[in-house]
Amino acid sequence: MTPLPDTLLEAVASAAVREGLADAVFTRLRTPIGRLLVVQGPRGIVRVGFEEEPEDAVLAEVAGRLGPRVVASDRELAFTRDTLSAYLEGDDDRLELPVDLGLVHAPFRREVLETLHREVGRGEVVTYGALAERSGRPRAFRAAATACARNPVPIVVPCHRVLPGSGGIGNYGGGAARKRVLLELEGALRG
Amino acid sequence: MTAPALPPFWSLVEAHGDELLAHARRMAGPEQAEDVLQDAFLRALRAYPRLRHAEHLRAWLYRVTTTAAIDAHRARPRELPVAELPVVGVEDDYDSGAFEALIAPLPARARDTLRLRFVEDLDYDRIAGRLGCSPQAARQRVSTAVRTLRERHAA
Repeated sequence: MTPLPDTLLEAVASAAVREGLADAVFTRLRTPIGRLLVVQGPRGIVRVGFEEEPEDAVLAEVAGRLGPRVVASDRELAFTRDTLSAYLEGDDDRLELPVDLGLVHAPFRREVLETLHREVGRGEVVTYGALAERSGRPRAFRAAATACARNPVPIVVPCHRVLPGSGGIGNYGGGAARKRVLLELEGALRG
Repeated sequence: MTAPALPPFWSLVEAHGDELLAHARRMAGPEQAEDVLQDAFLRALRAYPRLRHAEHLRAWLYRVTTTAAIDAHRARPRELPVAELPVVGVEDDYDSGAFEALIAPLPARARDTLRLRFVEDLDYDRIAGRLGCSPQAARQRVSTAVRTLRERHAA
């Protein structure tokens, strides 16, 4: 059986976006920290998945929130792809992409991630306690840690910049090794 | 929540796309298969959120592709002047294999009627002349045959 040509798939996805038929668009991207699945809705990136995460589950999670008309298109997400690639390959130090935290249901967790996205820039790090405080609840460092652990948009919402107050690199949804690579890329860790 | 948990549309495309392309090729011929399938996917996307359950999605995609193939046949422009057509219509770009496969489930008279309409591209007066019935009856026979075909391929 002849496989579907990519041109046909791209044509379907582009027409779907043009006609407003797509609830979300996704793309698969090779980067120095492995393959990423990036899913974007009308308001911004809703989900970034690392290669260990089952793709079906990630897409189903997005479909449950934004709607089932999820299509794939490298072309429609070309800007997002280029921006992420340039950042992760060290060619550009800006990562200005719109984000939609619609997959985060708990209000405080969402507040934590919004604060993190808005206030903690490249090259900086912050402790879970300090992040909780900046989000308005100084004692809620555990909730801040949970928010980071379940961050649906890692890398762009920089939970890798959040470290334990007790020292060390701490946990990361994508694994501690990736967290270290990202922090070294950003010059926040010295070797 | 009352809406069914429909899988992400692209999971269906990636799971069944290859066989649907083969189906489109059988229905519409190799030249038109990709256009037909593209049209089918967009029709399916338009209808997808309104589906009332998440079962038999593969069969549903086959039906949508079948309908798109039939509509492509009906919409296909025929440029050769009718008067110059030989008795048995033959066109350079006409894929008789695909069309014959498409109409194969029908009885012989219905197949003849559809050939007169879509292969020879006759109007209803001329179809009526060939079949020895009224133009209204000719129109009726064509529309019944097309409806039967759609239902048949939808089954």
